[in-house]
Amino acid sequence: MTQMSRFLVSVGSVLLLCSLASACQRKTTETTPAAAPGKAASAQSAVSADNGNWEMPGKNYASTRFSALNEITPANANRLGVVFTFSTATTHGFEAPPLVVDGTMYLITPYPNYLYALDLTQPGAPAKWVFKPKPAAASQGVACCGPVNRGAAYSNGRIIFNTLDGFTISVDAKSGQQVWRTAVANMQKGETITMAPLVAAGKVLVGDSGGEMGVRGSLTALDEATGKVAWKAFTTGPDKDVLIGPRFKPFYPMDRGKDLGVKSWPPDAWKTGGGTVWGWISYDPGLGLIYYGTSNPGPWNPDQRPGDNKWTAGIFARDVNTGEAVWFYQSTPHDLFDYDDINESILADIPWGNGRRPVLLRPDRNGYFYVMDRRTGQVLSATPYGYINTTRGIDLRSGRLVYAAEKEPKPGRVVRNICPASPGMKDWNPAAFSPATGLVYIPHNNLCQDQVVMEANYISGTPFVGADVKMYAGPGGNRGVFTAWDPMKRRAAWEIKEDLPVWSPALATAGNVVFYGTMDGWFKAVDARSGRLLWRFKAGSGIIGQPISYRGPDGHQYIAVVAGVGGWAGAVVAGKLDTRDPTAALGFVNAVKDLTTKTTAGGMLYVFALPH
Amino acid sequence: MKTKRVTAATLTLQLGACSYQTYQSDFANAGVEDRQFLILFWIFVAVCVAMYVLVIIFLIAGIARRRRAGDANVVETGRHHQSHPLLRGGLIGWAALVSTGLVGLAIASFFADRTMANAAANEKLSITVTGKQWWWDIQYNAADVSKTMRTANELHLPVGVPVRILLRSDDVIHSFWVPSFVGKQDLIPGRDTDVSFTPTKVGIFRGQCAEFCGVEHAHMAFVVDVEPYGDFIKWWERQLQEAQPPSTPLALVGYNYVTTRECATCHTISGTPAGGRVGPDLTHLASRHSIAAGTLPMGEGNLYGWVADPQSIKPGSKMPTVDLEPNDLHAVVAYLETLK
Amino acid sequence: MSSRFRTSCAFALVVALAMTGCNREERHSRSKPLGETVDTGASPDTIIPGGGTPQPLDPRAALYDNNSPAIAEGQQLFNKMNCVGCHSHGGGGMGPALMDDEWRYGGRIDQIAATIAEGRPNGMPSWRGKLTEDQIWKIAAYVRTLSGLPSKDVVGSRSEGISGPTPQTLTPHQQPRPSDTAEQ
Repeated sequence: MTQMSRFLVSVGSVLLLCSLASACQRKTTETTPAAAPGKAASAQSAVSADNGNWEMPGKNYASTRFSALNEITPANANRLGVVFTFSTATTHGFEAPPLVVDGTMYLITPYPNYLYALDLTQPGAPAKWVFKPKPAAASQGVACCGPVNRGAAYSNGRIIFNTLDGFTISVDAKSGQQVWRTAVANMQKGETITMAPLVAAGKVLVGDSGGEMGVRGSLTALDEATGKVAWKAFTTGPDKDVLIGPRFKPFYPMDRGKDLGVKSWPPDAWKTGGGTVWGWISYDPGLGLIYYGTSNPGPWNPDQRPGDNKWTAGIFARDVNTGEAVWFYQSTPHDLFDYDDINESILADIPWGNGRRPVLLRPDRNGYFYVMDRRTGQVLSATPYGYINTTRGIDLRSGRLVYAAEKEPKPGRVVRNICPASPGMKDWNPAAFSPATGLVYIPHNNLCQDQVVMEANYISGTPFVGADVKMYAGPGGNRGVFTAWDPMKRRAAWEIKEDLPVWSPALATAGNVVFYGTMDGWFKAVDARSGRLLWRFKAGSGIIGQPISYRGPDGHQYIAVVAGVGGWAGAVVAGKLDTRDPTAALGFVNAVKDLTTKTTAGGMLYVFALPH
Repeated sequence: MKTKRVTAATLTLQLGACSYQTYQSDFANAGVEDRQFLILFWIFVAVCVAMYVLVIIFLIAGIARRRRAGDANVVETGRHHQSHPLLRGGLIGWAALVSTGLVGLAIASFFADRTMANAAANEKLSITVTGKQWWWDIQYNAADVSKTMRTANELHLPVGVPVRILLRSDDVIHSFWVPSFVGKQDLIPGRDTDVSFTPTKVGIFRGQCAEFCGVEHAHMAFVVDVEPYGDFIKWWERQLQEAQPPSTPLALVGYNYVTTRECATCHTISGTPAGGRVGPDLTHLASRHSIAAGTLPMGEGNLYGWVADPQSIKPGSKMPTVDLEPNDLHAVVAYLETLK
Repeated sequence: MSSRFRTSCAFALVVALAMTGCNREERHSRSKPLGETVDTGASPDTIIPGGGTPQPLDPRAALYDNNSPAIAEGQQLFNKMNCVGCHSHGGGGMGPALMDDEWRYGGRIDQIAATIAEGRPNGMPSWRGKLTEDQIWKIAAYVRTLSGLPSKDVVGSRSEGISGPTPQTLTPHQQPRPSDTAEQ
């Protein structure tokens, strides 16, 4: 060959190889899409560049649950396959996401709260260590909705998580040794902890559970390095307990007043008033504020607690350093139906006038999708995202939810066809927000119920409810829906009806593929723009856990989820309840009597990727 | 001897019952509604007695009157016969008298009813009474919900103020009846009923459950204490206060027992961990007139007897006999007596 | 004796015999204080090493097991003492189902009473000192009706409020099994 031809051949082959390489495998890149006009976008202050890890359950402080990895697309998603699996050795309902930090995957299980570390750099991801906190077995008796755990958080070389019996534990991420352990909740009073802590600005934020047990709800901030209590904000009681001070400026007059945490209750009722913080916390580093919602007031029987029952069933914005309240909005005053407000607050920036407005996007339990200004707590819009007959809407001038009087529960009388049912239009399982499409992907319910209330007896450490409930499918007969909601147009872009309630969180990716799981074990990938089903996989157990997407050590995009049905919706399977009693599991058993034929209990990690 | 002992016993019981149990009378004229009832009652009595007397007179006259000759031979011949003009006039007059009387009674009834209804229209005080076997769970409602107050088996009312009582039942049908104020009104499970009245006399009155509701229906009474307005407000405010912490060592032992053992599963004492709602609120037990819904007058000895063995005083009631050690019994009663 | 006299004699005898069978309606409102020191440690069905007979039934069982007033009061206590909050109306929730035939800690009335009094490891609270022994046995008697164990002339025939499981007279009898497939 001549020199020229040799040169041409080598250049050509290099070019050919390069093009072949790029055609076969587009390696994962980071692309955070720019905001298009008329579309919601990531909150600039709360979303940092995606490093391919998954370090906290919400993915970032804005709780978008959006991965910027884009290797998996609608074109190739149907080729996803299992890469490895791992049995967590628990069968109680798996709600937590796996965490992935620089080549190690961390799994926190439901009771007994094992923390596993898997080495992703080795084939088959063998476990490096397991940390066993050994929580008190009796705490299972005071956990209303399964002894679940909603996740751990990684920060500064430590994995921090909560145990069912009320401890927050910080473990060294490399060695698995305990660094500190702090008692936050008291099991004897009926308190447990199921939520995932948020680590922000050097504080570990931990909320208690037990709104059905007559506990007093609170949010505690621990020092990240030492575990010592930095501040604690109660949800009920006098202003000094709720950390309400001069900075407190609620937007609406109904939330203004002195000591409303006492005055909006009959005497002493606030001491057993619930308002626990068992759900999600978001953080805006720019404003220095954390946002979280409080649970239902206790007991469920509203007759025992006339008044607005502040500060339950509402959203707080607090200063992360001191805990002082900056604003509060009560989504559901004097809650009648267990419409907790603990759902996620997704931070986003939306076009408004000539600029952008920092907002919270909240698919609420009471059935409304709220868009709220996160600086002040003003409700910009509240639109039903499903069928509601318990309320007539929100009066945007006063901010108040308007109840339908005929649905109000009265002692001794059965009220029928209450929609949405007590798990709400959507329960704890969080939605995902894709800045690429501007849509919020909401996995939720379509359930109605019959309810009768009676007087609840308070005995600490036992349930404080006072209601019998029986749930069933809502209009249409499908018990679940997966909705892609446009917060700007205030309507659904598309929706997928599911037979069973959709109790798994959602995952959105930059490749425009959205993932979620069903209660009978189907893990699904759908097109983010159209909702078309791209791929599905039948896991060994129903899926109620958060799916994640991470960049593996080899640079490829992986999808991981743990399948293990349970929680409130799956209690009939995880708790082996009897389907002949429709009021079992606070009425949920009646709605999912067929679940025992469709899935079994489990706790298995599945990791998927494209073939490579 | 036996009869003498029996008589002495009943006499003592009756004297002992003097304090409040005698004031369960329809004729107390202690309320607006009761006054209307009494007026109507006496009108009815007057009219009916008058008619009754007339009827008796005519009956006696009819029996005693001699037969006149010729009357026995009146035979029905099929032809109209002229009646005696006096008889015809008398019959028309009697019919007129009866109609007037009935119309008069109807009018009196109507006005009494309307007066009672109008008096009830402007109630200033709202109370919710929930009937439970076999006691009365009473809640005073207020526009400011942090001032609502829960008590048991005893109503305090301000004199001259119309009150509306919302009635509910937790289990079976009961009936709310304070004869000195107003008539009976049932408490029906699953429904809300109400009764309104205005007390006009200061004093202590007794009410009683008036619908058979189970084995201890007879022991389901309550006390109504009508006071001047200022005293009533002071009472309400005192009832809102939490129980004072115990001051003597014996009361402290009693406090520990009451708040951590069987008592707390059913009873609430505000300001302590005891939060049970099955039984009456005990926060101000010692300030009440009676124990166990009017079964026993309040007093140290009666408290001892009730706490030691409620089943022998009110057998079948929901309060179980807790087998207290003697020292525990002393401590518990010492603590309960501090709950004024 | 005249035939009429004989008939009324026989009738009286039959009635007298029938009355003695009315144990199911006997109220023990003034039951003898049972005392906290009486042993309620009826253990669940276990292996008896070296052979021998299992623990005999506690003599108090006869007072409660097929006794109507005890079952009715037990039902009220089951609701008021928040048993419904964990066990619902037999179907379970936070706590296991009580209407099936699996009794991890034993399904005899004395074993159920022991469970209530002592609590159990995975979250059943201990009620000794919070309820009297009499109340505990009444609740145990009611719990047995959830799986249809007492005879059908003793139990209630009406379900109250929201329609839950079938009324007690229609609940099928399910022989207790000391098995534990509902693992926690």
